[in-house]
Amino acid sequence: MPPRLPVIAHWACPSTPATRVSIFSFRRCASSSATSPEIYDVVCVGGGPAGLSLLTGLRNSPITSGLKVALIDGQDLQKSRLPKDASLGSFSNRCSSLTPASVRNLQEIGAWKHANASRIQPYQEMQVWDGVSDARISFDWDTARPLLTPRKPSQPTTIAYMIENVNTTSALLGRLEELGGVATFSSTKVESIELGKDAEDLDLSSWPILTLSNGKTLAARLLVGADGANSPVRSFAGIESRGWDYGRHGVVASLKLEGPGRGGAEHKIAYQRFLPTGPIAMLPLPGNMSTLVWSTTPERAAKLKSLSPNDFIAMVNAGFRLSTADLEYLHSIPSGQAEEIAWRGKHTPINEAQIPTNVVEVQAGTVANFPLKMRHADTYTGERVALVGDAAHTIHPLAGQGLNQGQGDAAALVKTIEHAVTTGQDIGSLLALEQYNSDRYAENNAMLGVVDKLHRLYAVESGPIVGLRSLGLRAVDAMGPLKGFFMNRAAGGA
Amino acid sequence: MAVSLKRPFTATVSAAVRSTHTSLSLPASCRCFSVLNRPPPNYEGHIPLTRVERLGLAAGSGLLSFLDPRRGDLIAAFGEATAQPYFIYKLRDRMLLNPTGRRILRDRPRLTSTSLAIPRLRQLPSNTLGYAYAAWLDREGVSPDTRAHVRYIDDEECAYVMQRYRECHDFYHALVGLPVFREGEVALKAFEYANTGLPMTGLAVFSALTLKKAEWRRFWDIYGPWAIRNGTKTDDVINIYWEEELETDINELRARIGIEKPPDLRTIRKAARDKKKQEKEGREHAAASAV
Amino acid sequence: MAPSRAHNCVRILRYATTRPLRSPSIASIPRRTAPQAAARGFSAQQPKQHEPAKSSVDPTEVSHFNNLASSWWDPQGPSRLLHLMNPLRHTFISRCLSAPAGTPLPSKLRYLDIGCGGGIFAESAARLPKTASVTAIDPTPEVLKVAELHQRRDPLLKQPGRLTYLNKSIEQLPIPTSAEEQYDIVSLFEVLEHVNAPGPFLTQILPHVKPGGWLVLSTIARTWTSWAVTNVMAEDVLRMVPKGTHDWNKYVNEAELRDWFRKQAGWGGVGDGMKTLGVMYVPGFGWKEVPGGEGWGNYFFAVRRDA
Repeated sequence: MPPRLPVIAHWACPSTPATRVSIFSFRRCASSSATSPEIYDVVCVGGGPAGLSLLTGLRNSPITSGLKVALIDGQDLQKSRLPKDASLGSFSNRCSSLTPASVRNLQEIGAWKHANASRIQPYQEMQVWDGVSDARISFDWDTARPLLTPRKPSQPTTIAYMIENVNTTSALLGRLEELGGVATFSSTKVESIELGKDAEDLDLSSWPILTLSNGKTLAARLLVGADGANSPVRSFAGIESRGWDYGRHGVVASLKLEGPGRGGAEHKIAYQRFLPTGPIAMLPLPGNMSTLVWSTTPERAAKLKSLSPNDFIAMVNAGFRLSTADLEYLHSIPSGQAEEIAWRGKHTPINEAQIPTNVVEVQAGTVANFPLKMRHADTYTGERVALVGDAAHTIHPLAGQGLNQGQGDAAALVKTIEHAVTTGQDIGSLLALEQYNSDRYAENNAMLGVVDKLHRLYAVESGPIVGLRSLGLRAVDAMGPLKGFFMNRAAGGA
Repeated sequence: MAVSLKRPFTATVSAAVRSTHTSLSLPASCRCFSVLNRPPPNYEGHIPLTRVERLGLAAGSGLLSFLDPRRGDLIAAFGEATAQPYFIYKLRDRMLLNPTGRRILRDRPRLTSTSLAIPRLRQLPSNTLGYAYAAWLDREGVSPDTRAHVRYIDDEECAYVMQRYRECHDFYHALVGLPVFREGEVALKAFEYANTGLPMTGLAVFSALTLKKAEWRRFWDIYGPWAIRNGTKTDDVINIYWEEELETDINELRARIGIEKPPDLRTIRKAARDKKKQEKEGREHAAASAV
Repeated sequence: MAPSRAHNCVRILRYATTRPLRSPSIASIPRRTAPQAAARGFSAQQPKQHEPAKSSVDPTEVSHFNNLASSWWDPQGPSRLLHLMNPLRHTFISRCLSAPAGTPLPSKLRYLDIGCGGGIFAESAARLPKTASVTAIDPTPEVLKVAELHQRRDPLLKQPGRLTYLNKSIEQLPIPTSAEEQYDIVSLFEVLEHVNAPGPFLTQILPHVKPGGWLVLSTIARTWTSWAVTNVMAEDVLRMVPKGTHDWNKYVNEAELRDWFRKQAGWGGVGDGMKTLGVMYVPGFGWKEVPGGEGWGNYFFAVRRDA
């Protein structure tokens, strides 16, 4: 096994823009590690939702609270906190749909109560339809049940919770602060990761030694890579991540709608329309706000970003209403979309009850785009290394599962570490980590596969596939129990 | 609150029923009716049909117009019955993808002898489209006002597309110079099929089977290949704003859309006839001299 | 998949059990291979035959053992099933410690691990927060070397007094003279099935257990299933282990252990003083508890010394 890995890697924490960290050459590292490193049980690189959730879980559990843990983030962690006086008229464009399973975990580790509840929007219904054939499926816990079994009033009606990522990280940081006991290295970069040395009395040759930009060196019994899609920890461990780029970009924006939605403030609805270029989704936020996630070609994403606010709003409205031919034309003209769309609206049959209400405003500066990828690490564990969140997998956003998978990883890793501590295992050993890999790999792989297939299925613009997929969608829509099964899976097996 | 959005059970059932349809762009509600509760028309003159009625109309009008190709009304009905649910929407989409096509859909111009002011067209220079069109009308002895109204297309915009296609048909004749009798009509229909994808135009090509042997040979050797070649490579002719092109040089227009003029059918036929006549005369002459 | 698992399983049983064979105390006792021993009882008496030598270690077994040593800590290596079983040992011990009517043990426990081998159990016991110290003994120098080398890989285990390896057999360990020298937990994992005379062997161990403390062991029951798996399948049918690796006649049944301890004064008399847990390796799922499994395969047994 190579003792170390000289690489130049992109450093991207899930919540923060990428910066660079270079891992120095061997000789330099060797000399820097001459001073004996401080020994930690768990060193987590990356303070995004997955890494913070892991540390909070470890600190919260009476079994693992005795572990010595450290957190390193290249960014200033205070910047990933929501301002106390944040206005309900503006929302971050980085939002996620937290499944009930993720929320339950955040409640269990005591973080949920630290979230700003007024900025979280549960939704009770989901409308999904085919932009080519108009075949539609609706999800709500009322129809997703056997025909003759009435719904128990005690059953939850919430499908998922829309929350800004910054709200999630604030909640976790708030809880971590309350729990204390984490050596936090904020705004600190990892300069290098290398394996330790076999000294006379102590053999650290299997221990990752991290040299930080502040000059400190840490030895990690378990090094957790929560350091995003281009994970340097993963590179250090020599774990390959495989997959492909979708050739699509996700366009996000915070939008203000005409009203609180068709179900009122108490019954919020999420919408997603599958267009051949990718799905467009409108997800409810508190009040009249909504967040947009529009997966589309890079050219179209660039076009959307270049539009005037008025034309952009019109395009979003058109995205849920007009034909694919119209949308194709509208993306080809430099401006004047609003006027074209007003005319097309008159000649396009639209059932207003089934689509989101009109967008009236786009929050300034929130239109952004990012490339969509599918990546999966060959394994989540190595000797003294575990990967969580985007470091382990990157998923197409069409099912809103990315952040939830990271939360699931964190919860499973906490459980694995708890078991290892209870039974005296070395929490960094491959054997102790085995359970984490087997708990999460297959499950994440299945979700990655399903989402990837959905993307491919709906990228087809015409032909028999369209008929078949529409037939299938309507069939599932008509079958309550089957729909319930899918909803349960999407809810994180709740 | 949740109750107001709850899907009633009947909705679930109708969703299951709908699942058997393969509707494309129209909301499903437009399709679910019987002869007893026919919905109101979507536009003036619209006659909503059930699927069975549509099939019957397609079969009946198809058969009758095959037997009597001069029944323009039957051909029109056949065209409408077979254009849905797919083809007319595709043709409309192709107009939507083209700036001129979109303008046509916005303006919805109608082609009539009044809107076109035929006498004025006759005054235009002889190289213009307008002049060629008027000359063609005169030569073939037809008028643009004889076109039937669209009645069976459900979507009002697609109904206009059908109407437009129909009204432009004579311009296609003028553009390529094909005459109205069966042989020319079949060649033009083949061209239209390759260009518009409307099923009626394709099915009309089957009337080539009723052509005389010499006509069939010409279609097979000359006009058929021409139609396929030009129909596929030419820009969509439905997207030509004919009203704006009346003063355009016809050759320039042909070049712009990439169409080549086929050999003049009337000339060929005349030459063939003359040749036949000569042969006949020759034979008679020979026979006479033999006597 | 099944054959390779089974292969591992059998090898483990073999490796795990070859160690004590070279223990001087055990090797001094000749092997009993007579078939009629299947019906043997379990007594405190020494076997009649007597071999004088303080037993030397068979050199061929040493080289074989060195090969094993290098892979002892490889999680995918031949000791995999032992590694996988280790957490269950702690689960079983926790259950014993929480048994009612016992004299409360100190908050920090002293462990004695007999036949520690590469240190799989000893290391894990030393890592527990409630552990005061672990003394781990094995008479074979080579395995002890493996254990000590591995201990250096964890700074926690290098804390003074936390984990001590001794190259000794049980009879070489001085008999404690006070409760402070005795142990709260004395463990004897996968050893008993290779002991010719379990009674005398156990008798040597008893004084090391503190009153209120537990003797915890694991072994294999002498039943037709274990005979079929370890002797017939592994040795004759699949030929995965050399013939004679396992001497099924030496397997000890849970009922025999219970009987023996019932006859010992001051053992397992108070409350729930004897505990059993039947376990089975299920390929693809790992070690599973099998209620009643002590009757036909691998099992844990624990007995408390009356306070």
